[in-house]
Amino acid sequence: MTNKKVISIILGIMCFALTLGICVQVKTIKNTNSTISQNQEANELRDEILRYKERYDNRFKELEEAEKELEKEREEATKNNSELEQAQQTITKGNKITGMTEVTGPGVIITLTDGKGISTSTLNPSQLIVHDLDVLSVVNELINAGAEAISINEQRWVLTTAISCRGNTIDINGERIGAPFVIKAIGLPEYLAGLERVGGYLEYMKEDGVGVNLEKSNSITIPKYSGVIKFQYLQNVEE
Amino acid sequence: MIFIAILIGCILGAILGLNAPIISYTYSSYLAIAIIAALDSVFGGIASVIKKNFDLKIFISGFFGNAILAILLTILGQKLNVDIYLAAIVVFVWRMFMNLGTIRRYYVEKWSDIIKEKTSKKDTKTQTEDKVEK
Repeated sequence: MTNKKVISIILGIMCFALTLGICVQVKTIKNTNSTISQNQEANELRDEILRYKERYDNRFKELEEAEKELEKEREEATKNNSELEQAQQTITKGNKITGMTEVTGPGVIITLTDGKGISTSTLNPSQLIVHDLDVLSVVNELINAGAEAISINEQRWVLTTAISCRGNTIDINGERIGAPFVIKAIGLPEYLAGLERVGGYLEYMKEDGVGVNLEKSNSITIPKYSGVIKFQYLQNVEE
Repeated sequence: MIFIAILIGCILGAILGLNAPIISYTYSSYLAIAIIAALDSVFGGIASVIKKNFDLKIFISGFFGNAILAILLTILGQKLNVDIYLAAIVVFVWRMFMNLGTIRRYYVEKWSDIIKEKTSKKDTKTQTEDKVEK
């Protein structure tokens, strides 16, 4: 009888571990929403991408923590030293301009959505869609109107940002971004709202059937640039 | 008794598993092969209980040994770019079917015995009733 009891307890524990494992596995597979394809090569490539993405996410978290630590260390080091404090202020100011810190201020939010109607043009049926050049032109006009910080779908516009076409998405800072595009800009709202003027680019897009919405706001928060700005070939001119 | 324990284990595992955090995708293939090994061990355990040659040491060492070997084979296969884990799956599933066959045979024989006994009892009853009437 005792032998039977031991056997049943061990089998029960085994089944417990088994169902636990199955549940965790099913949840993991569901979470990665990977569809199993018949092509083995495609499966392996997908696995690779998922693994790299995971590694990237982990590294990114580590980087964020390290940056926080650096900030703390800097603050501690510059205490009670006016010269260093001044240097610290210069760094903070520089970071604000180059896009390495989160910034907030008044400005406008422009939302560009793909048109819902039927394209009236037979020459260019894709004009209903927001293209990379549309986003680029809007950003250009914003800079012209005196915008100090710009983000497109939470991607900060910095010195090294390129906007390019990636099929039905747009590549900004190496991240794929899809419609609708929310362009936030900090600056004098009255000037920035001048983008809606007759003959401006937004007007032109509206005529094409693209959904355009411009909103003034008193407090806009623009995230910091998530990448690293790296210059390799740039050198100071020695005088 | 054994089946009640298995049922309780399964229910507890499902409850805990539904609340458990997900694991990293990198290790999910190893967990999958470990699940197959555990499934094989459970079927093997039930079959050996039926055969009445259940040995705890063999059962536990088989469970851990099989799972670890299967995981190591999977890692080796990934390094060599050969899907060795397929071989492990084939062996485990084959053994699962063998053990399932043993379990099935045992219960089918048991039930057919019970049915036979019942019918024979009925026969004797009718015979005795006939005698009384006479």
